[in-house]
Amino acid sequence: MRRLLLRLWGVMTSRAVPPVVIGIFLLVYIGIAFFTEETLVTLIGLTSKSVVLALLFALLPISSACRLVAEAVSYLKRRRAMAGTAVPDAAELFDEAVEVPAASLTIAEQSLVGLGYTTRRTEDTLASWRGFSNFPARMVYLAATFCLFAGILISLTSRLSYRSPIVEGDPLPADVGGGVVERISLQPSSGMILSKALTMEVAPANPGEAHRSLGIYPPSMLRGMFVYPRYLGVGAAVRIAAPDLPDGFGKNSILNVYPPGKEDAVEIPGSPYRVMVTLLEPEDGVDPFSSGRMIFSVKLVKGKDLVLAGKMATGGAVSRGGYQISFPETRRLVISDFIRDYGVPLIWTASVLFIVAAALWLPVRLLLPRREMLFIDHAGTLLALSRAEGRGRGHGSIFHEALDLLEAGGQGKLPE
Amino acid sequence: MPSAIIQTTGLTRSYGDICALKPLDLTVPEGEWLSVMGHSGSGKSTLLNLLGGLDRPSDGSLRVGNEDLRGLTEDGLARFRREFVGIIFQQHHLVPYLTAVENVMLSQYFHSVPDEAEARFALERVGLGHRLKNRPGELSGGEQQRVCIARAIINSPKLLLGDEPTGNLDHQSTLMVMELLKELRAEERFTIVMVTHNPEVANWGDRTIHLDDGVLVREERKS
Amino acid sequence: MLSLPYKMIPFLLSWGAMLLVLLRRFSAHRRTAIAAGIVGYACGEAGAWLLFHLYSAEVAVGVMKSAVGVGFLLLWSAAVIAIYRSTGRGFPSWGESVGRTKVFAGGIALAAGVLMGGIVACRLAGTGSGTIACFVAALAAVVLAGAAFVVEEKLPDLFTVSPAGAMAALVSLLLFTSSSIIRLDLFAPLSMKVMKFAHDFVHQFFESMLIPDHLFIRSYLWGYIGLLFGKGVGFWGALAIWFIPVLLILLSVNLERLPPVAHIRQGAKRRKMVAAAIENRRLRLVVPALSCVVFSLAVYRSTFPAVEYWDPKPVPVTAAANGEIVIPKKGEVDLEDGKLHKFLYRQNGNQARFMAVMTPEGKLTVVLDACAICKPDGYGQAEGSVVCYYCKTLIPMDTVGKPGGCNPVPVPFTEKEDGVHLDAVALVNTWTTTVQSTTRVKEEGK
Repeated sequence: MRRLLLRLWGVMTSRAVPPVVIGIFLLVYIGIAFFTEETLVTLIGLTSKSVVLALLFALLPISSACRLVAEAVSYLKRRRAMAGTAVPDAAELFDEAVEVPAASLTIAEQSLVGLGYTTRRTEDTLASWRGFSNFPARMVYLAATFCLFAGILISLTSRLSYRSPIVEGDPLPADVGGGVVERISLQPSSGMILSKALTMEVAPANPGEAHRSLGIYPPSMLRGMFVYPRYLGVGAAVRIAAPDLPDGFGKNSILNVYPPGKEDAVEIPGSPYRVMVTLLEPEDGVDPFSSGRMIFSVKLVKGKDLVLAGKMATGGAVSRGGYQISFPETRRLVISDFIRDYGVPLIWTASVLFIVAAALWLPVRLLLPRREMLFIDHAGTLLALSRAEGRGRGHGSIFHEALDLLEAGGQGKLPE
Repeated sequence: MPSAIIQTTGLTRSYGDICALKPLDLTVPEGEWLSVMGHSGSGKSTLLNLLGGLDRPSDGSLRVGNEDLRGLTEDGLARFRREFVGIIFQQHHLVPYLTAVENVMLSQYFHSVPDEAEARFALERVGLGHRLKNRPGELSGGEQQRVCIARAIINSPKLLLGDEPTGNLDHQSTLMVMELLKELRAEERFTIVMVTHNPEVANWGDRTIHLDDGVLVREERKS
Repeated sequence: MLSLPYKMIPFLLSWGAMLLVLLRRFSAHRRTAIAAGIVGYACGEAGAWLLFHLYSAEVAVGVMKSAVGVGFLLLWSAAVIAIYRSTGRGFPSWGESVGRTKVFAGGIALAAGVLMGGIVACRLAGTGSGTIACFVAALAAVVLAGAAFVVEEKLPDLFTVSPAGAMAALVSLLLFTSSSIIRLDLFAPLSMKVMKFAHDFVHQFFESMLIPDHLFIRSYLWGYIGLLFGKGVGFWGALAIWFIPVLLILLSVNLERLPPVAHIRQGAKRRKMVAAAIENRRLRLVVPALSCVVFSLAVYRSTFPAVEYWDPKPVPVTAAANGEIVIPKKGEVDLEDGKLHKFLYRQNGNQARFMAVMTPEGKLTVVLDACAICKPDGYGQAEGSVVCYYCKTLIPMDTVGKPGGCNPVPVPFTEKEDGVHLDAVALVNTWTTTVQSTTRVKEEGK
């Protein structure tokens, strides 16, 4: 059992896991591409439904976590070894290991100090090092990969989403609290990324709850669900009258007519009529959604024939020859997705961690990479170990010269 | 008896009608320090050039180490010089715009790859640990010659050739250089063949041969 | 026009180069490798020839294209493994001993031979050459194998080939030869797939990360995002996928760890060992570097293919007063000769390019010289199929006239005794909507 566990641990900490898993997904992707044009969407769908694929994907975050643990353990072991504690298999923790006959370590210590290395002596060991370890950056990087893959996995398997309009004056869907949307406003924004600021003021649904204001990005959250604004539109009470519709017809419609110029159609069920609506470009140059001054161009089509066309503002009407279109009331609305996805915050975290890891790694790697040597005197032989996280050639030379010096019995010393 | 590192039979070098080295039979055992004396034009430098693979014999056989130098191609000869021989000249032939350590590294570069730590270590061994970053012009004659020694031994040659290495040095510097060569030979166990005018310098060797007009005329062994 | 034997020279040279690489890689099993290579070549040629004659060109070409594609995927795996190994990332050493066996050497040589033979057969079938040409090609391949066997022995020992380097050379040569046959070319379809992937990926990423739509994003920023949807992404992305494996292999050779020398107690010896390792590393860069050049040649041949298919100049046509275009069956061209005929209709600044063709079932069909997906670069006719110039997709002749995918967009028409009748307005409308949508999708993106 213990052997099995060790073996499993060996597999999970192997660096081969990510490329193999990604390779398998690539093959599945290629396989799907033979059958459908919507390859990526199909692959995402398959992974979220298939337990086998989801488990396979799960190997990625698990492998990152296992590597994080394994690398932390070996780092701590190496630290103990450098501190002079006997550590089994110390040679495996370093890049280069060699055994030479035992010699006095004092000369080597003096020379290494002269070369800018810090040293630590115990009775039978000499550790020397310079520069800073990239271990913290590596840990942050592994944590970032864990968050990224875990986030994608969670998102793939548990994302819940539905689309619903947020209409000024109407309550939000019940599962996000149901507070009434008091006001929707759209203002130009001076930000680097967003050109507009959209705010949706929501009144408290129950006593004791706070007033909420929902924005665009980062998306606001209501009862664990993200509110993801997709399109702007207009909610209109559409009324029409026609000679062959004696009772007229009225319908509250969502008009997907933003930005101005975009056309939407309202079908009148059970009749050959269709209302085509366009929001006109504002004459004053102010966005009609912001100002509320909306002028619509409307057309009434019967079958293939245009029977009525004209322009009107909210509350106005267009009529001719017994046909009439009017919008007694219009309201601003935001067509939004309501999404429950616990993977998204993890992916955000991963992006931040990746940036942190790069910021930690780059200066250390360029300016002062860690270089270490450890000499362990053990029963008449000297085990010499060395590793470098950068500038390995120069460090290696110094290591080799130190060994030459030790063997020469300290005749001479390393130049400073 | 150590095996011979140099073995020549009937070694001859002529330049047109002039015979600079007449048939010479010479055996140098491994580890020996051989001094070569003679007047100007006696064939000393010709012999040294032949031994170092800088020149090719006109006739006779010439074995250095395990190599028959007459049978080597130009590439083979270059490799032989790179790996087997270190040479110290009277004129130092150091690159004036490189520092001491860079001059030594240049020799490493032609041999294999440069290694700064090792070059610094070599200069430390010849007592120039404090002059690593100085250019030849900033060093005394004796110091320059010590850089040359570091450069000559950096690739661990089996044979060290000296062509009047102390010819330009004062008495004190000459003594220091000879003492250094003696120490290094004891550590590295290379063979030395040194051409000199100076009997006192020749006396540092185990054996001295005298050339006259390209002919070996006399041989003295240090008792 | 060059004659066929000249056109076969690049194929045969590639075959020779492949054998040189195989022989050098498997120098312990030279005879096995050369024999397996020759047998594979013969089998590949015969197999592809049989597929052509027993099934159809589509089946034969499909099989060969997939096989070359699998080769490319294997190269990717080899490259990833090589880079993991050389950076000491502890990739398991599975199959290292297998790689040195005679069976493995024979297997690789056989596979390479089969693919090369198959590609040559596709090339010969494409020109309508008969059995004799195939036989002559096989004979030439055997002679070349003999020559390669002799030449390789004379090459200096210095040149060594790493396993991944050999893979890069073999795959690059296969892709080079296959890219000269438009229907076997992988680069053009790869560009299309990459473009689609980039589009889908960015879209999915935006959705998943709840990133606002272009409505709310600054237009300069959206301009940059729009680049990800552009046509260039397909080309550059495919270029990256094409070259990354061989670049990874070059990098992996360059990053190989130098031998440990700490046990040697003489600086000169240590340096000599390191220098020898560096020299050896440099020599092992030669084959992947040459492969890189061959990969570039493959891209060049794919991007600028030698036109060898039927591509008639469009015949200008006009509409009658009632807005009807009539094309007589036996007029300037013979509509029923089985060849593709192109026409150009122009009126009031509007124009439409369309084609009429008799399908193998004997039905006359009228379609646009454009599809609903690609830019309207038009079609050419190869045997048994038409080829979209933009994405190099092969459309079998019997599906021309059916809508969907990269098929040419059908145009409503009526066939009468005197010829084909079509409505000019409908034609122009169909052309305009098709071209507008494909141009928009390709150049503006989302």
